[in-house]
Amino acid sequence: MTAAAASSAGPVSAQKIAGYGIAAIAAVLVLYPVFYLFQAAFDTGDPQTRPPTAYGFDNFSNLFQYPQILLNTLTVSFAATAMALVIGFVMAWTLARTNVPGRRIFEQMMTVPYYLTPLLGALAWSMLGSPESGFINQVWRALGASGHIIDINTPYGIAWVMALFEGSVAFVMIAAVMKSMDPSLEEASQIMGASRLRTMLRITLPLVIPGVLGAAIFVFAEMLGSFAVALVLGTPNRYYVITTAIYQLIQQYPPRIQVSAAMGVSLFAVMFVMLFIYRRIVTGGSYATITGKAFRPRVADVKALRWVLFGICVLYLLVAVLLPVLTLMFASVQKIAVAFPAVDNFTLSNFRAAMSMNAARSALGNSLILGFATATIGIVLMGMLAWLIYRSRLPGAGWIEYIVMFPQAVPRLVFAFGMMWAWLVFPIPIYGTLWLLLIAYLTVFLPLGVRTIAGVMLQIDKSLEECAQMCGASWIFRTRTITVPLLMPGLIAAWLLLFIASVRELGASILLMGPHSKVITPSIVESWFGTASELTATLALIQTLVVAAAVIVMVLVTRRLAAEPLN
Amino acid sequence: MPNQPHIEVENLEVFYGTVMAVRGVSFNVLPGEQLTLLGPSGCGKTTTLRAVAGLEQPAAGEIRIGGQLVFSSARNVNVPAEKRGLSMVFQSYAIWPHMTVFENVAYGLRVRRASASEIAEKVHRALDMVQMRDFADRRASQLSGGQQQRVALARAFVFQPSVLLFDEPLSNLDAKLRADMRIELRELQHRLGITSLYVTHDLEEALAMSDRIVVMRDGLVEQTGTPDEIYSLPRSAFVADFIGSANLIRGRARPDLAGGGLIALETADKQVIYGTAYGRPVGAELTFSVRTVHLQISLQRPAGEKNVWRMRVEKTVFQGDFSQVHLAWGNQRLVARCAAMEPIAPGREVFMTVEPQKVVLLGE
Repeated sequence: MTAAAASSAGPVSAQKIAGYGIAAIAAVLVLYPVFYLFQAAFDTGDPQTRPPTAYGFDNFSNLFQYPQILLNTLTVSFAATAMALVIGFVMAWTLARTNVPGRRIFEQMMTVPYYLTPLLGALAWSMLGSPESGFINQVWRALGASGHIIDINTPYGIAWVMALFEGSVAFVMIAAVMKSMDPSLEEASQIMGASRLRTMLRITLPLVIPGVLGAAIFVFAEMLGSFAVALVLGTPNRYYVITTAIYQLIQQYPPRIQVSAAMGVSLFAVMFVMLFIYRRIVTGGSYATITGKAFRPRVADVKALRWVLFGICVLYLLVAVLLPVLTLMFASVQKIAVAFPAVDNFTLSNFRAAMSMNAARSALGNSLILGFATATIGIVLMGMLAWLIYRSRLPGAGWIEYIVMFPQAVPRLVFAFGMMWAWLVFPIPIYGTLWLLLIAYLTVFLPLGVRTIAGVMLQIDKSLEECAQMCGASWIFRTRTITVPLLMPGLIAAWLLLFIASVRELGASILLMGPHSKVITPSIVESWFGTASELTATLALIQTLVVAAAVIVMVLVTRRLAAEPLN
Repeated sequence: MPNQPHIEVENLEVFYGTVMAVRGVSFNVLPGEQLTLLGPSGCGKTTTLRAVAGLEQPAAGEIRIGGQLVFSSARNVNVPAEKRGLSMVFQSYAIWPHMTVFENVAYGLRVRRASASEIAEKVHRALDMVQMRDFADRRASQLSGGQQQRVALARAFVFQPSVLLFDEPLSNLDAKLRADMRIELRELQHRLGITSLYVTHDLEEALAMSDRIVVMRDGLVEQTGTPDEIYSLPRSAFVADFIGSANLIRGRARPDLAGGGLIALETADKQVIYGTAYGRPVGAELTFSVRTVHLQISLQRPAGEKNVWRMRVEKTVFQGDFSQVHLAWGNQRLVARCAAMEPIAPGREVFMTVEPQKVVLLGE
């Protein structure tokens, strides 16, 4: 029996060593930069020397020198959150609960703004709505008016573009709440004799409010940490929110590392608290609506109003998707971007320039390499983490989950700042290389990858793995023959999501890329500030095409896998 | 040692989170025997089975399989599930959806690095035994529940494990199929002569299939015995009630009336009922258990003197093969199960009688 005990020690510890090894890698990836971020934030010594010579809270009290930034951030975030919630709620109610024509197609189209990225929206809306050269204002003046009708370079312009894209996130969250509501709750109210309006006010609204509140907090946290739109639309007017201010303070000469670190830590703290509250609302609610069980919601016949709602849906997709994409396409084939087409203004030279420009080509190439590498390494790392957290039952799995989900609460720009500071002092010189970007992507996309894979993993009956174990298969053998094949749909979806996320990453890349490791999204921003908007539009279009191709593959793959469900 | 138990479980304790799901369970399974863990949901039977399998790590106790220690908290031994030489049929069948029926069954042999010819031969023989040979190339999604069940079974015994574990294998089948599979499983188990540990909450299944039954409740063993012992001589009120419906009659002992192998009990209504102790100690306060099928109702006074009472019918519930008659006996309510008959009008007085041998003293 001692022999059996001794032989048993081998495979169990192999599993444990692999598990804790992977967990340690994740912990280092996440906590090492966070440590340096905090170190810089509390460093009150000489900014030129590292490690710090003195610690204190001075950097945080210095933040009060920037009241305008706080005000700007709150203005933009509140305005954008309010608009995004209105968009999300109206669209969710319309598509989940009314008989608006074309519901199915609209529902599928609602994810498109998410894939278009706020940066693309900001570039397009800048071309559409800047006070002088914006297409809309050009048309306005051509109609005989003077001045401008819209100005996108204002706080509300920034909020508008942010809301257009975050609106689809709010939609997904609120629609999920509406769909998970048991329609018999409303039917019971009507059976008791309550009118439709009374049912709506007394039953439906109170039941969806926690979900909407959760969405509001989540969206607000995202707005606080959003970067691209404020960068493109705000910086030209020296209108800074907290993320663009952090970026500015790091980029200027001399950089003000300590104050920006303190800003980053403060932002992180606020977002952390908000996401904590969000989790509490979502998981702790005693509301029976949030059970995760999907019902077929009751669809109300809204009669003539359905055409009004139809118009609203079309309008939203028009301003969030069609108009931006058309604007970029239109601008990309013009010599000088103007509202009115002219034959002698038409050119294909922008595409030629984009493809022949060394910087752009290498940036696109680097992004594709990074996308492939991040996605491929990512699914292995994140697949093992998901298995470790949700399946292995190793002690400490709960803590690993917290660490892995940590980057969710930190804006990527702030995370990248910690990373820059951390890897600068790292003995192996990876700063300024693609390796650093790879490490950064693997870190900031941990929550995305782990959640995607875990979603599929949790649907697989645990007994399928246990049965292999009972058949005598070792951990490695059953992982290879059972777990991985069953997880394939999740792994493929995760691969594509990671690839897409990498190719369009901005916040982390813009701080971490070096002159010889440029990637596409920050290059688009550089091009916007440095060269012509027509060329920028071309670059943005090319990036969108790459992402669109990946999205189409993903939709096809997931649809094929959904057609033959895994039991 | 031919009579050494094949599976020995001693003082097993298992925590599920902070809840103690199994609170000190001991039993043995003899070679070739089918032992069933029976109890309501949440009694710890499945947790016990999974601990034997090695899928759950117990907090305390010892488990031996074939004389070999596979778990001991004191000696810090915990052989992983895949090294215990067991096999298991899961409640959900756990048929791998990405493999054919053949590949599912062949898995355990592939793990053991059997040759291709050996795999083909053994898999086909196993599929023959469960009448699934024609389905070898099908995928799991193309099988019905009963067929999946058979594949799971073939997969479990094809590599000749020393012990088969069954975790409520029939609970997902419809009633008719379940009755058929019960007989089939029992025959297969006899043919293979394999030691089996079976878990179910279904009484009929346990009575029909087991050599011995362990009745569990709240993480403890309530009674161990053959199906007949469990049914005829329940040890506690819980077992009496769980194993088929029973009437419980409480009262104080009347040793003065005892004799002739019988003991007597007087209820609070001063009614006397004679029963049998079956060697259990007779205290001052007694509880008798009488199965509902053993109470006999007649309209005329039956012959005999002991255990004959007049009672009032409260209601009769028609249940197909039998009728359930609710009777008022002073303050006590009794239920009798009679073969289907003309309904008796509520309020009518009838005679009720029961053989004293069928009135069992509970050992509490």
